[in-house]
Amino acid sequence: MKRKKVLALALASTMLVAMMGCGNTSESSNSGASENEGAADLTSYEDIVLGEDFTDLEATITMFNNRTDLDSDDYGGVTWKEYLAAFNEVYPNITVKITTDTNYADDALTHLQSGDYETIMGIPAIDSADFSTYFISYGDLETMSKQINYADEKMYQQEVYGVPFTATTQGIVYNKKVFADAGITETPKTPDEFIDALKQIKENTDAIPLYTNYAAGWTMGVWDMYTGVSATGDEEYANQKLLHTKDPFKDYGDNTHPYSVYKILYDAVAEGLTEDDYTTTDWEGCKGMMNNGEIACMVLGSWAVPQMKAAGPNVDDIGYMAFPITIDGKQYAKAGADYCFGINVNAPTDEQQAALVFVKWMAEESGYSYNEDGLPVATKNTETKLSFDGVDFIDDAPSIDGEEDLLNELNAESELNVNNGGDRKIQELIEHASIGDMTFDEIMDSWNQLWTDAQDVCGAEIQY
Amino acid sequence: MATALENSKKWIRSRKGQQVLICVGFTVIPLLLLFVFTYLPFGQMVKFSFYKMKYSTPVDKRVFVGWKNYIDVFNRKDCFGALKLSLYYCFGAIMQLVLSLYLATVLSFKVKGGNIFKGLMFFPYLISGIAIGFIFKFFYTRGFVLDTLLAGLGINLESLPYWLKDQKVNNWSLVATSVWRYFGQNMVLFIGAIMSVDAELYEAAQLDGANRFQQFKNIILPSIKTIVTLNIILSITGSLSAFEQPYVITNGANGTGTYFVVMNEIAHTSQKVGLASAMAVVLLMIIFGCTILQKLFFKYIFRDANSEDESYAAKRAKQKAQKKADKESKKALRAVKAA
Repeated sequence: MKRKKVLALALASTMLVAMMGCGNTSESSNSGASENEGAADLTSYEDIVLGEDFTDLEATITMFNNRTDLDSDDYGGVTWKEYLAAFNEVYPNITVKITTDTNYADDALTHLQSGDYETIMGIPAIDSADFSTYFISYGDLETMSKQINYADEKMYQQEVYGVPFTATTQGIVYNKKVFADAGITETPKTPDEFIDALKQIKENTDAIPLYTNYAAGWTMGVWDMYTGVSATGDEEYANQKLLHTKDPFKDYGDNTHPYSVYKILYDAVAEGLTEDDYTTTDWEGCKGMMNNGEIACMVLGSWAVPQMKAAGPNVDDIGYMAFPITIDGKQYAKAGADYCFGINVNAPTDEQQAALVFVKWMAEESGYSYNEDGLPVATKNTETKLSFDGVDFIDDAPSIDGEEDLLNELNAESELNVNNGGDRKIQELIEHASIGDMTFDEIMDSWNQLWTDAQDVCGAEIQY
Repeated sequence: MATALENSKKWIRSRKGQQVLICVGFTVIPLLLLFVFTYLPFGQMVKFSFYKMKYSTPVDKRVFVGWKNYIDVFNRKDCFGALKLSLYYCFGAIMQLVLSLYLATVLSFKVKGGNIFKGLMFFPYLISGIAIGFIFKFFYTRGFVLDTLLAGLGINLESLPYWLKDQKVNNWSLVATSVWRYFGQNMVLFIGAIMSVDAELYEAAQLDGANRFQQFKNIILPSIKTIVTLNIILSITGSLSAFEQPYVITNGANGTGTYFVVMNEIAHTSQKVGLASAMAVVLLMIIFGCTILQKLFFKYIFRDANSEDESYAAKRAKQKAQKKADKESKKALRAVKAA
């Protein structure tokens, strides 16, 4: 009887605590915000000297990000554990707790919305105008540009809210051996050459020429990333011109622009150059298949290279090439920041300070971008494993002042979600290509229609 | 003051006080939980459905748009087009009920190894939906489990469809998964209900020369009609809001996006929270409508059964009263004898 009473009491009290917990978060965040207004005692990103300042700072901070693979001891590269151990050699009293999540893009939004989120977070897709609601500013663009590349990635009104740990480029990951076996000596540089190469692979080898990874979903949205710099060679295209272009998905007739990017996929599927049954593709399994030479190529960012290498014994077979579109005789590749990390605006000052130190250390000293086959982030680092001969790296220019959120609005309104998780439209493209119920031009026309309607609703002027 | 405190303490300790306290405690806590975790969020959702907003939009920047979201729900092709897929699931639900009712009836009579069968058939319900997604992705993959099985039966692989790729087949594949998962649970519910039927009735029916089917039709079905109705309502509402199978197995792609999957896509990818909330409210209304229609339908269908049932209950009451009276009189007799 007594035990039951104790149990009941315990249950009741946990419920109470749980409910109080709900009430408390908003309070604490309020007080945190008020502390911050007088946060002159926070040493800025620029002024922190790594290895000298704050080596005795004591704090426990949390970080939330998407790299679940780095949690595992089996990971081929450097794991989070190893990064933290290296960090704690210099800063023994700063404890960093890292949580990772496979469904990061969605869950991060939920964390932010709850008001109770980690000290350091990879900034998910939120409107630029809301950056300051959730994250502290690292400084203005001018100062930060001297410190890091890609400072304008998460910028609003000249204030920088996110620092990436690595940067990636966009191209095609391929198996060199399969390409050589098929008799392809030079990497294809135009859509026609690419389709021909795929046909050659189909004829001469047993490999799947192009693996779509249809079922995973997000691997489809990746195709959008090639519509900017890779397809136009224009740094202003993705964030500025696309918003004001009349019918951006139309055929420009010179094998460039978004039209050609999506056409490669449509043609490859329509001509049977992709896997037999796209609905049952398996993302984890494809890595090993790529490594073994069962798959010839996949359209993925350069971040995928270390994962393909780690998936089997044939490390040297994995190569990376630029997307097969040539603009006036030149190929371009987008170099862009990976997830940018923001620091919780509601955290106590000492935790924010510790977070600043950790972010700077990750960007400059950790070797993270080199280990992950990325492009360097800190301006003082230049080392990288990527080699793209004769390809120009360009980063997308940020949106024009006052139009920071226009692309997001157009995306939401049109539901095409270009570069914003618009996986479904590309899955449908594959379905239509496979069934043959809609020609490629009909699909592009329907997208143009959606985009034009959205431009009307959101008041985007047509300038191009 | 002190005496008042003393009095109230006394009252708390008294039987009456305890009774009141427990009554209040037992009603307030569940109601509070229900309110906080169900009605409050629901109210918020209804409110959201009148706004144009994203999840991350701060409260003061949300724009009130009136009925626009609701008008959009009815004007968009994908919203109501997705409801057509529910017909597949409705059909599946009916198959599932018939199958589980049949198996439940068979298993509620003495069957060798009945418990093992029950366990085996209930088992799929215990597997998590995500795991089922993975199982069936491999099950339906070209040249994997299902194809191998059918090839073993002598069917040519070439003549088999792509279970998830072919848009004529893929919804049936998903429905089959759903039936596979839930029929065991329905069956167990039915068995439970059938167990409560008085065994004497079967005996009596057998004496009258009724076969198994007649027993089922005239004894079992009327006796468990409440649970059958309940299961049908649950299955139909379940098929209107089918989500798990398409979401986990095909991600709602390739023409398998049900209403819920489309709603999820709109809410989380396009971040049209207002529109998605409106869709949820509309679906709720549809489900309400369906439930009411079904209620009316069953009232009509079971009207005769109802009266029979009543008379049966009345008979039983009469019998009981008779028995009681008999016992009483016997007791009285004994008492007289003893005296």
